[in-house]
Amino acid sequence: MPFFLVLLLTPIGVAIALYRRNPRRFLDGPTEDVPLRLLRWAISLLSPQRAEWGQAMLGELAHLDGRLQRMRFAVGCTGAALTLPPWGRAGAGLWAMTGITAASFAIYAGLVVDFRLGTGGWILLAVFAIICVGYLLGVSALLRRSGVALPGLLGVVFATLVWLGLSGLTAVDQVTFIPSGWQKGVTMLAVPAAIGAACTLWRRDPATGRRAARLAALTAGLLELLYASIAVAILGGGGPPDQDGGYTIRGTVSDRLGNNIAHLAINTVFIALVGWAAAALTGYLVRRPPTPDARLIADPTQET
Amino acid sequence: MQRNRPPSPQTVSVLRALAADPARWRYGYDLVTEVNLKSGSLYPILVRLADRGLLETSWEPGVDSRPPRHLYRLTGAGREFVAALAAAHGSPRTVVRSRRRLSEA
Repeated sequence: MPFFLVLLLTPIGVAIALYRRNPRRFLDGPTEDVPLRLLRWAISLLSPQRAEWGQAMLGELAHLDGRLQRMRFAVGCTGAALTLPPWGRAGAGLWAMTGITAASFAIYAGLVVDFRLGTGGWILLAVFAIICVGYLLGVSALLRRSGVALPGLLGVVFATLVWLGLSGLTAVDQVTFIPSGWQKGVTMLAVPAAIGAACTLWRRDPATGRRAARLAALTAGLLELLYASIAVAILGGGGPPDQDGGYTIRGTVSDRLGNNIAHLAINTVFIALVGWAAAALTGYLVRRPPTPDARLIADPTQET
Repeated sequence: MQRNRPPSPQTVSVLRALAADPARWRYGYDLVTEVNLKSGSLYPILVRLADRGLLETSWEPGVDSRPPRHLYRLTGAGREFVAALAAAHGSPRTVVRSRRRLSEA
């Protein structure tokens, strides 16, 4: 129950925090409307090799007048910026995550067909497809930010190894693992906090640390989902009986797939939130206070 | 590795629109309305055409407070490609062959 409360309240809290930090973010300003802000954000995701195309989109938007026309143009360009392939390390990371997500989806779809999970299974598969696309768009946006790809992807490896170390590597371990109190503390608090703090210290920039933590959250969720999906594919409806008992084979498979998606959501939320908070706190703690000399230069009236 | 896939119908529409008056520089939004494509589809096509040397770009200086505007037209290779496309009458093999020639040139 607390997890579901967290899942429910997190997006609301993030929206309120964003609004409080900059209320104009969601409103039109005197010189910058929503389409312009959206497009500015989108072109900041383009690789340096594509920067000229971002300026081209901005130049074109400046010559459009109707609000609907501008919004449609900006939304289309944002989609293009998110889907134009990035370069170098970011490109490799995105292709790797696309492959991992596609593999998870294929396994999931195969199980739905193989075990004839019915309408409910297909609905859950459709929801899963939407979640996958959303995750990949998020990964695509974060990977394009400067300095985020490597610490974020190393964070993924760290989080996944800790999870597998605690749960065990076999398929049975994956479907039966229920973390104890201290294990929850490690996977949901200590590891995300370590990722956020380490990324901030490495890049010496809290903003990069927060983005790396979010990237680690999304990709660790996808990676662990793939492992758990393979486990379900290996076991099917077999393996140890569920604690609840009384399930049919179909019910067992459906339940295990649902558990995997719930784990994906919980994992992502906790790593992103705790990592974000740790990155912000680390940035605050390591921020160098101005030296006395600098204070005097800034405010000569204090010189007595 | 150069891929020799035939161009998509959307790409062919953009190429034909540009080839209608090959000497004229075109704005991005003009192509959006003329070809009836979304901006999210048009710009990736323009990027790919420019990467393959079929499209040349230029900047029109900004007027008043408005920023410069990007302009597009076909290169010589682009015109040759569209001519080959028209001659192929939609036969993908011929288009692939003409693209291979272009990539080898």
